[in-house]
Amino acid sequence: MTEGPLIVQSDKTLLLDIDHPLSTECRRAIAPFAELERSPEHIHTYRLTSLGLWNARAAGHDAEQVIDTLLQYSRYAVPHSILIDVAETMSRYGRLRLEANPIHGLVLITTDTAVLEEVIRSKKIAPLLGPRIDPETIAVHPSQRGHIKQSLLRLGWPAEDFAGYVDGQHHEIDLVQDGWKIRQYQELAAEGFWHGGSGVVVLPCGAGKTIVGAAAMAHAKATTLILVTNTIAARQWREELLQRTTLNEDEIGEYSGSKKEIRPVTIATYQVMTKKKNGVYSHLDLFDTHDWGLIIYDEVHLLPAPIFRFTADIQSRRRLGLTATLVREDGLEGEVFSLIGPKRFDVPWKEIEAQGYIAPAECIEVRVTLTEAERLAYATAEPENRYRLCATTRTKRNVVEELAKRHADDQLLVIGQYIDQLDELSEVLGVPLIKGDTPIKERERLFGLFRTGEIKCLVVSKVANFSIDLPDATVAIQVSGAFGSRQEEAQRLGRILRPKADGRTARFYSVVSRDTIDQDFAQNRQRFLAEQGYSYKIIDADDVFQGKI
Amino acid sequence: METRSFTDYLRGLDDDALISLFAARPDLVSPVPPDLASLAVRACSAPSLARAVDSLNEWQFEVLEACSAVNEPMNEKEIVALTDLSAKFVIPHLLELALLYRSDDGLRLPNSLREVLGNEPAGLGPASMVKLSTKKITEAPESAQKVLERLTWGPPRGSVGDIRNPGPGIAWLLKENFLVPLDQRTVVLPREVGIHLRGGKIHKNPQPNPPIVSGKVVDAAAINRAAIANVATVLRWCEEILNFWSEEPPSALRAGGIGVRDLKTAAEHLGVDENCAAFISELVYLGGLVVIDADDRVLPTHAFDLWLTQTPELRWRTLVALWLVTSRVSGLVGRGDSKHIAALGPELDRVNASSTRRLTLEILSSHPGISLELESTLAHMKWRSPSRRNPGIQSDLTQWTLREAEWLGITGQGALSKYGAAFIQEQEELGINQDLPRTVDHILIQSDNTAIAPGPLEIDVARILDSIADIESRGGATVYRFSEASIRRGLDHGKTGEEIKEFLRKTSKTPMPQPLEYLIADVSKRHGRLRVGNTNAYIRCEDPSLIAQILSDKKLEGLPLRRIAPEVLICELDANEVMVTLRAAGYMPAAESISGVILTGVRLNRAKSRPRPPRIIGELESPTPETLSAALRSIRAGEKSSHKQSSLRALSSNAFGSLPRTTANETLEILNKFIKEQRTLSIGYADNNGSATHRIIDPLSIAAGSLIARDHGTGEVQTFRIPRITGVAPL
Repeated sequence: MTEGPLIVQSDKTLLLDIDHPLSTECRRAIAPFAELERSPEHIHTYRLTSLGLWNARAAGHDAEQVIDTLLQYSRYAVPHSILIDVAETMSRYGRLRLEANPIHGLVLITTDTAVLEEVIRSKKIAPLLGPRIDPETIAVHPSQRGHIKQSLLRLGWPAEDFAGYVDGQHHEIDLVQDGWKIRQYQELAAEGFWHGGSGVVVLPCGAGKTIVGAAAMAHAKATTLILVTNTIAARQWREELLQRTTLNEDEIGEYSGSKKEIRPVTIATYQVMTKKKNGVYSHLDLFDTHDWGLIIYDEVHLLPAPIFRFTADIQSRRRLGLTATLVREDGLEGEVFSLIGPKRFDVPWKEIEAQGYIAPAECIEVRVTLTEAERLAYATAEPENRYRLCATTRTKRNVVEELAKRHADDQLLVIGQYIDQLDELSEVLGVPLIKGDTPIKERERLFGLFRTGEIKCLVVSKVANFSIDLPDATVAIQVSGAFGSRQEEAQRLGRILRPKADGRTARFYSVVSRDTIDQDFAQNRQRFLAEQGYSYKIIDADDVFQGKI
Repeated sequence: METRSFTDYLRGLDDDALISLFAARPDLVSPVPPDLASLAVRACSAPSLARAVDSLNEWQFEVLEACSAVNEPMNEKEIVALTDLSAKFVIPHLLELALLYRSDDGLRLPNSLREVLGNEPAGLGPASMVKLSTKKITEAPESAQKVLERLTWGPPRGSVGDIRNPGPGIAWLLKENFLVPLDQRTVVLPREVGIHLRGGKIHKNPQPNPPIVSGKVVDAAAINRAAIANVATVLRWCEEILNFWSEEPPSALRAGGIGVRDLKTAAEHLGVDENCAAFISELVYLGGLVVIDADDRVLPTHAFDLWLTQTPELRWRTLVALWLVTSRVSGLVGRGDSKHIAALGPELDRVNASSTRRLTLEILSSHPGISLELESTLAHMKWRSPSRRNPGIQSDLTQWTLREAEWLGITGQGALSKYGAAFIQEQEELGINQDLPRTVDHILIQSDNTAIAPGPLEIDVARILDSIADIESRGGATVYRFSEASIRRGLDHGKTGEEIKEFLRKTSKTPMPQPLEYLIADVSKRHGRLRVGNTNAYIRCEDPSLIAQILSDKKLEGLPLRRIAPEVLICELDANEVMVTLRAAGYMPAAESISGVILTGVRLNRAKSRPRPPRIIGELESPTPETLSAALRSIRAGEKSSHKQSSLRALSSNAFGSLPRTTANETLEILNKFIKEQRTLSIGYADNNGSATHRIIDPLSIAAGSLIARDHGTGEVQTFRIPRITGVAPL
């Protein structure tokens, strides 16, 4: 019995003891085939999934290697059934291949006719297929490449895609590393993506996903379409690309509500892409009418449904998804993986923190107690109004005020969901508010002042959930949120994870009403971060006033 | 000439020879027969002989077939001539089994053995009635040659269109007596001709040696590593299936056993296929860990709780020992005509199950470090135990045995593990306790409200954790998740929030994360604020002073009252009784309806019935030397007394000239002897009214409990029922 760091469970989860001396080595060894599920303080959980094993096959690992790795690092004997299952699952990969045939175009080829017979009888697959060419080959409608891959995956017979990617129009792009250097994990992520062809890279907020995008573009050296959440994010991408790559201002275009520039590198917002004119998505042509060599989806966890549908049709173009939190409360993570591509790179947040690339953070849940009157109002409220009622309680205002006073010297963000509440807070604290209808110019002006430190505090609505760079925010106070959304919590924490010049610990306060559904939602929201190893400290509002923080 | 009977042969055996006979054929002393005559009858009975024949391997059987092709009495030379020189080594074994015995004039076969071997052993026909000159066969015309070729290796019968008008070849053969007509359409090749055509041998491909078992060599460390994982897994499976059934007991089918759906659910719960789930269910059933109770629910027994407290090695050894001897075959589950055979059901017993398992393990232990290749194993198995009576199931049984041996960890990666070997050699220590991962007594609590036990937990720690956390993942380690519901469950089971915190603080190697502490505090703060309970009667009054008065009233001292609020009293007595008592004391109560306080404790769901593990049928235990010698003593004593009795009876019957009287065994023995010698004898025979008459008969044969004989009185061949024969005497 070896004393390895890994415990292989019978439900196909792998538990990695990270306090073990071999843990780093083991993590590297299992990363190609196991998916990281949770990474709290002591034991990280990975899972063996069919998708993960098939990706490993695609990347050139065979079942024997996987089994050897498991046996080598396992602390206890590995259940025999798991070993058999691994071998069996991996052997399913590659029996079907998608190839580009010079005469027949896209074809599905098999080495095992029984498998082909099985899949062409499936109701989901049949409509996607063309005529049978010979017993081993069948034609596939080129436009259905994405759909057929998705359906085959669901049937458990993944097709190896040899049809390749179109190179797109060539355009010279290189990284310019003067005064900065690409970090090792960023390079690994970009390479992982490039070798896999398409896929999703998961990195914590503030860990420099833009650089990964730029590195991927440098690999592709082709015209690129970048899809981002909003105009501010688009401008930030532009800034970053100008600074980090050989691209100049004329080569980067913005395709948004206000500008419709198409350049070798075009940055478009989700909003404009999904805008309907006379019932049709008039801008979706952008995907098709230009010969893009690479499409980057920023904040892929927010990908709207119409883009999902369209993405299925452009399977021959390379796609890169970037996100910090691939958890969707709508459970569509699977769709993201099958349409954009499998997860190519993932790393525990705490590991990046340990390398110093994101700031350490302290998460504090401040519990306030409702007054008698508020409690009564809460108890008698209609269920649909309850969350709003307890999340916007007046008691929270006093606590926020007190916290703001204590952090008067820090760059502070107050983040919330409800505009009334934010209006009130902005008034009480005497600081500007940024919300949905704040003009872009005004937003940029305020962000600029905040960045230079002229403004110490900002109140922001959910517009600030993503992609805004506030380099010096060190403290965030969350007063309300979108119910139990786990990714929102993570994204908000991400606002303060930029490394601080003085190596200071960032602080994230979440103000919660005790004994209400606010507290229940808070628990759900914190789950993602808790699984990343962020331990919340719970304190009472009174402790804040007594200065015990 | 007087031939020595089988009984006489047995009488002539010394103690050692008898004991080895008993050891080889334990059914002969179960139950112990009263004397040697009874022993002889039993040893010559068809079922017992069939059992003995079944125990032969292919080569021994071939030699026995050869013996049956020789006329009695025979000698070794004749047998060797028909087979192979190595038959010499087989004959002593056949003698030991009393499938062959020595009489004065040579070797003989016991009476019914030919029947057991069938009419045409080794595909040879009956002996010829006339003397044949086999040399003449070479002169046979071509058409006759063809017929002979067809019949040479059996079956020796062939059909012809019409016996009176055969083709030229057959006509020649019939004329020369090289073929014998059997009936209108069938001819048969006489034995002598068959042997001649086979070149003086009996078998085409005699197999004096077993086929070689092939397989893959596996590294010993890998075997044992895989095996210990299997051992740990199978024990965990047993525990889990029982815990699962304790929570959701399946209902047994009316025909007995567990339904397909319940088995499937259990399989899903364990994460195994249904064959494996059936195996686990049967395993715990054998161990008496589960029972179908009086309400037809499948529930774990108290034996399960005891079993849990045992060491893994003991637990494993118990189950494996039961698995080895049971006649139940879990591989049959889901088979049968309508796939109806159910686990824990009544249709799983198969006679050869245990012997096949033993033999398989024997093959495994004679090939250490080798993962057996199935085909060659089956061939070897077939040679070792040809199992002529039900050949179909044997290969299934062997495959299942190999599969189950792997599940159990007797083998690892298909080769015998050190634990399996130690078990087979009945060693005191199997080494399982040392090699299993050591139990841990601590957990690691993490801030995402999970706790991980990095190894098998000690049972009492596991029990408490089970009650306050939900299991998320099992295997070498266990992952627990704390949630509001799980903490509440712990509080429901009578723990306080403080106790839970104290337990976790004590058990966790890592500091308890604050959110968990808050979770426990929050739940326990809310828990129990509402109290619910049963009571039979309550007394309520809006005036607390009246309640106080009742409580202190001397006349009401008999009423067991409890005040649960200033205005409410409760009472265990029935409301009517309370009313009567109150009225008698001068109060004026009015009737209302029912409520009090009791927290329910932990209750494990267990069957009330005692464990009833399935009975093992079909296999006889090998008797110990003590039982064997006891059996022998008892038979020797019986022999003396029956000898005395029969000589007394002979005296008295001679004196009074009455009907012959013999015991049932003597009757059979004498009849068998006289049938062989074709001698006339007298019998006493009871008619339908019970009056016995004296008959003189020529015995012909015995079949199905009846004697067929020619009655001198009527001159006809008649059937006499043996139980009605009061006695036999030679004339």
